[in-house]
Amino acid sequence: MNLSGRNRWSFVVLACMAVSLASVGYPIYVIRPFRAQGARELAAALAVCRFRPVLTVVSALVAIGAAIACWRAPARMWRRMPAAAGAALVCVLAALARVNVYELMFHPDDHPAFAATSEAKLDKDDKLIVVKVGGRARAYPIRVMGYHHVVNDMVGGTALAATY
Amino acid sequence: MDGLRLTFHLAGINNQNFLMRDDQTGSYWQQISGLAISGPLKGRQLTLVHSDELSFAAWKAEEPQGTVLQGVTKYAAQYEKKDWDARMKRAPVVIQFPEQGMKSRDLLLGIQAFGASRAFLYDQVVKEKLVRDHVGAEPVLLVVGPDGESVRAFRDRIPGVDGAADFYRMTAGEPGALLMDAPTGSAWNFQGCAVSGKAKGACLEPIAMLKDYWFDWRNYNPRTTIWGRRQEGR
Repeated sequence: MNLSGRNRWSFVVLACMAVSLASVGYPIYVIRPFRAQGARELAAALAVCRFRPVLTVVSALVAIGAAIACWRAPARMWRRMPAAAGAALVCVLAALARVNVYELMFHPDDHPAFAATSEAKLDKDDKLIVVKVGGRARAYPIRVMGYHHVVNDMVGGTALAATY
Repeated sequence: MDGLRLTFHLAGINNQNFLMRDDQTGSYWQQISGLAISGPLKGRQLTLVHSDELSFAAWKAEEPQGTVLQGVTKYAAQYEKKDWDARMKRAPVVIQFPEQGMKSRDLLLGIQAFGASRAFLYDQVVKEKLVRDHVGAEPVLLVVGPDGESVRAFRDRIPGVDGAADFYRMTAGEPGALLMDAPTGSAWNFQGCAVSGKAKGACLEPIAMLKDYWFDWRNYNPRTTIWGRRQEGR
């Protein structure tokens, strides 16, 4: 197949779009609630999450370069636009690759505050996760943990992550 | 870990058990197991801190000097309501293990120790109030607290006594005492410590126990046995 210069650069932009779309879309597809996750696909999705910040930036840079080359090639304006739009989309995807939907949805309690047992506003049948470390007793109400899910804490000199 | 304090946040889900990501290395950790499943720390294991799930009444009686996590005011409206556990029982599941008459959302107490996994149906344990059983070859006790809903597990061995002690539930006695053992005639409280008798001052070894739904427990403990159920083909 003999591609003209402009078509060749358009093809590069298209390839960058495909890589970026897969980097953003595949983890969302695999790691979504109310869907069973297989071990291999989950491992692949997490590997994509790990490397996509770099991968999508490289894709964006390549796509921008290809779009500029395409723009410079002699052609009517409307034939240059798709490559430019494609490069813009790859840039948007590079930004989205830095967003984890779960991290937006669930808010960790980064600065946990604690009350003495006598001052805690809880019902007697409220359930707690309790620990005793280094002689210090700490309780995490499940109704609070059910929202934050993770509390990074320090109890009796030991760093721990309470999870629910 | 290795001198580095890791802090975590929720970052994904794996068959309805969440994944945490640490802020320091970006590794992903499975919540139920504390195992890193992806990233630079893949294969590393967090150390489990022993915890119990107790009612506020039971804990307050034991630890009047303790401290309790306070909610964050701006999220208060989003915290779980009183009936959260009833609503969770109706939530859909994505994996199922219809074995031995178990339903996906059956609530159980799981023990992973002594080279084995064993599940105890929560409602059955609360009804029995005291369960004497084995996990692997080790005798264990599950004891329901004075509130009738909190449960703790202990290794059924008293220092200086050979084999499993013959514990039974006390119906009356000194305040705080729930159990008595036959070999020493000592009375034991819900914290697993002897409060009177020859063993006074001794404490039973606590065993980590997880309150979980059947589908989740079974997913991570494929060889689990179930207390009170005939183990067929396992």
